[in-house]
Amino acid sequence: MDRQGQIINPSEDPHLPQEKVLKFYRSMTLLNTMDRILYESQRQGRISFYMTNYGEEGTHVGSAAALDSTDLVFGQYREAGVLMYRDYPLELFMAQCYGNMSDPGKGRQMPVHYGCKERHFVTISSPLATQIPQAVGAAYAAKRANANRIVICYFGEGAASEGDAHAGFNFAATLECPIIFFCRNNGYAISTPTYEQYRGDGIAARGPGYGIMSIRVDGNDVFAVYNATKEARRRAVAENQPFLIEAMTYRIGHHSTSDDSSAYRSVDEVNYWDKQDHPISRLRHYLVSHGWWDEDQEKTWRKQSRKMVMEAFAQAERKLKPNPNLLFSDVYQEMPAQLRKQQESLAQHLQTYGEHYPLDHFDK
Amino acid sequence: MELSSLLTRRRVGMAAAASTAGRLLRLGAVRAEGHCRRLRRAGLERGFLQPTSAGKDAAQKRHVAHFTFQPDRESQEHGQTQKMNLFQAVTSALDNSLAKDPTAVIFGEDVAFGGVFRCTVGLRDKYGKDRVFNTPLCEQGIVGFGIGIAVTGATAIAEIQFADYIFPAFDQIVNEAAKYRYRSGDLFNCGSLTIRSPWGCVGHGGLYHSQCPEAFFAHCPGIKVVIPRSPFQAKGLLLSCIEDKNPCIFFEPKILYRAAVEQVPVEPYTIPLSQAEVIQEGSDITLVAWGTQVHVIREVALMAREKLGVSCEIIDLRTIIPWDVDTVCKSVIKTGRLLISHEAPLTGGFASEISSTVQLHDELPSFFLETF
Repeated sequence: MDRQGQIINPSEDPHLPQEKVLKFYRSMTLLNTMDRILYESQRQGRISFYMTNYGEEGTHVGSAAALDSTDLVFGQYREAGVLMYRDYPLELFMAQCYGNMSDPGKGRQMPVHYGCKERHFVTISSPLATQIPQAVGAAYAAKRANANRIVICYFGEGAASEGDAHAGFNFAATLECPIIFFCRNNGYAISTPTYEQYRGDGIAARGPGYGIMSIRVDGNDVFAVYNATKEARRRAVAENQPFLIEAMTYRIGHHSTSDDSSAYRSVDEVNYWDKQDHPISRLRHYLVSHGWWDEDQEKTWRKQSRKMVMEAFAQAERKLKPNPNLLFSDVYQEMPAQLRKQQESLAQHLQTYGEHYPLDHFDK
Repeated sequence: MELSSLLTRRRVGMAAAASTAGRLLRLGAVRAEGHCRRLRRAGLERGFLQPTSAGKDAAQKRHVAHFTFQPDRESQEHGQTQKMNLFQAVTSALDNSLAKDPTAVIFGEDVAFGGVFRCTVGLRDKYGKDRVFNTPLCEQGIVGFGIGIAVTGATAIAEIQFADYIFPAFDQIVNEAAKYRYRSGDLFNCGSLTIRSPWGCVGHGGLYHSQCPEAFFAHCPGIKVVIPRSPFQAKGLLLSCIEDKNPCIFFEPKILYRAAVEQVPVEPYTIPLSQAEVIQEGSDITLVAWGTQVHVIREVALMAREKLGVSCEIIDLRTIIPWDVDTVCKSVIKTGRLLISHEAPLTGGFASEISSTVQLHDELPSFFLETF
């Protein structure tokens, strides 16, 4: 697809049915709407922190759509669109960001550290690239289990500099694991541009050094991402070997709510990508030119998606935070004596000094 | 005072780089004072090197450090036994695990041919190359890979070739493995991961083949750290670690691989984690140790009895975290004195955790505390 949503090479058109392509569009735009509202909510002090996905929606949705629903996903932190595509409810995105008592993660982590067992999305952790060798191990186990399952592992071009990335690539190749390494090369690792991150030919060029078949794709072309992932998946299962996809895209938003990217890049640069090469715009052009979408539907959908997000948001805000006892459980599968003592000690402390704590906000 | 200096002078078997750390706590003074005054009056001599029972000249000089492995009495409860050294006991445990659990795999550097300490000999032939295999030389990869296997529910038994090389994997262990269950709200876990690693001084190991890093990991909730003193203990504790639903690190005292020989049951059996063992009862002082040092401490106890008339209670801690506070405290309540001895460096060593916890224990009198 070019920037006007026209298929460049008809032989590469995946010919996806209308419903599926509409699902791509709705997932990407719903994510975008949720991002705007949650980013704002952080600015207003309602949640502590947030990371947007602006500009990278195509990488999430194109790849997620090419997988089986049971394929295991290991992400970094900017892959919420994968969960969105897998129909993770807005209520639960919000619950995790608010850290309220409905959060399946029990309110223990910073916002955007989602996880979902039913949707095979392994809980996000903050340290970068640690998921890469883990994803390889999971793929090895999937291979042994003959489960017709692959693992996909997302990471940014910055995380690819970590030792864990090198470890993961090498293990995947030598141990013949059915895994897709999906690198979102979005131009920046916080403030560090790619010129300061690596001097070689990006991440795709590293793959062959490990014996891994690699491809570079236009990450803002959701069909290109879909095609590459689909083919990688097919071969990973058939041949038990890893594949590396480097999706070139652009991080339109700041790194996070703790970042103001005008400190290290120009507004013009950001506007260029936002206006000239945005995955959502390109897909919309495609939809419109096929007669599958129009202005009215766009207006209606914008209103509807915003309403859905606002409702989930209001609900999440009203809920209590998790019970403080959850500070101590799940450290081990069973609670050891020392932790039980600490838990009791906290309970006693709260008995005496509870007035100094916002206990009313917490589930009893 | 004399008693403590004698005990700390007993640096038996340890290379200079890894000297004994001893902490002597004297609690609840009165009874102790009288006893100690008696000992001072006994006028103890220097050159006081061996138990009388060794039957040699008391003033002889040592030329090499040594320790003597002391086997436990053979266990009758687990069926037929076989003479095994420590590495063979480990092999036996691994063999039992792979036989019982079809998802179990063993991996690390050089494990395929049998391992640099022969712990995995024969297992690849028996169970196949997809279950016992070499990885590239990369500890952070080994542990990360192991975590990933465990996340799918399969049993992962990773080997780190020497505990001295576990540090590249520290991030994966502390930031990932230990926190997997907690941070995901119990949606995910890597409880079926066990990491095994040769540990401790061996005489010629120097800085990088002798380390005891348990104290670094003790500070990390979410993992278990276990150290056996003998082949029988090793097999039972390792099997417990493998079955335990939390990620475990199992340190194997490398000096005991060949030197420690015992009758070990052929069938699988488990020894509970987080349970210290009182291996010798006594009344005057509690001695706590783990791994190789248990045998040094046993010899110390013998000498203390023969030369000083002191009755020592010896505890093998076995699990470093979560550790068995109750057994240690119960013993110190009885004896009134505590000495902890470990190979690892003194500052920040695990003895400090034990000594401070014991001193805080509500059933112990805090009116008189001294630390040497």
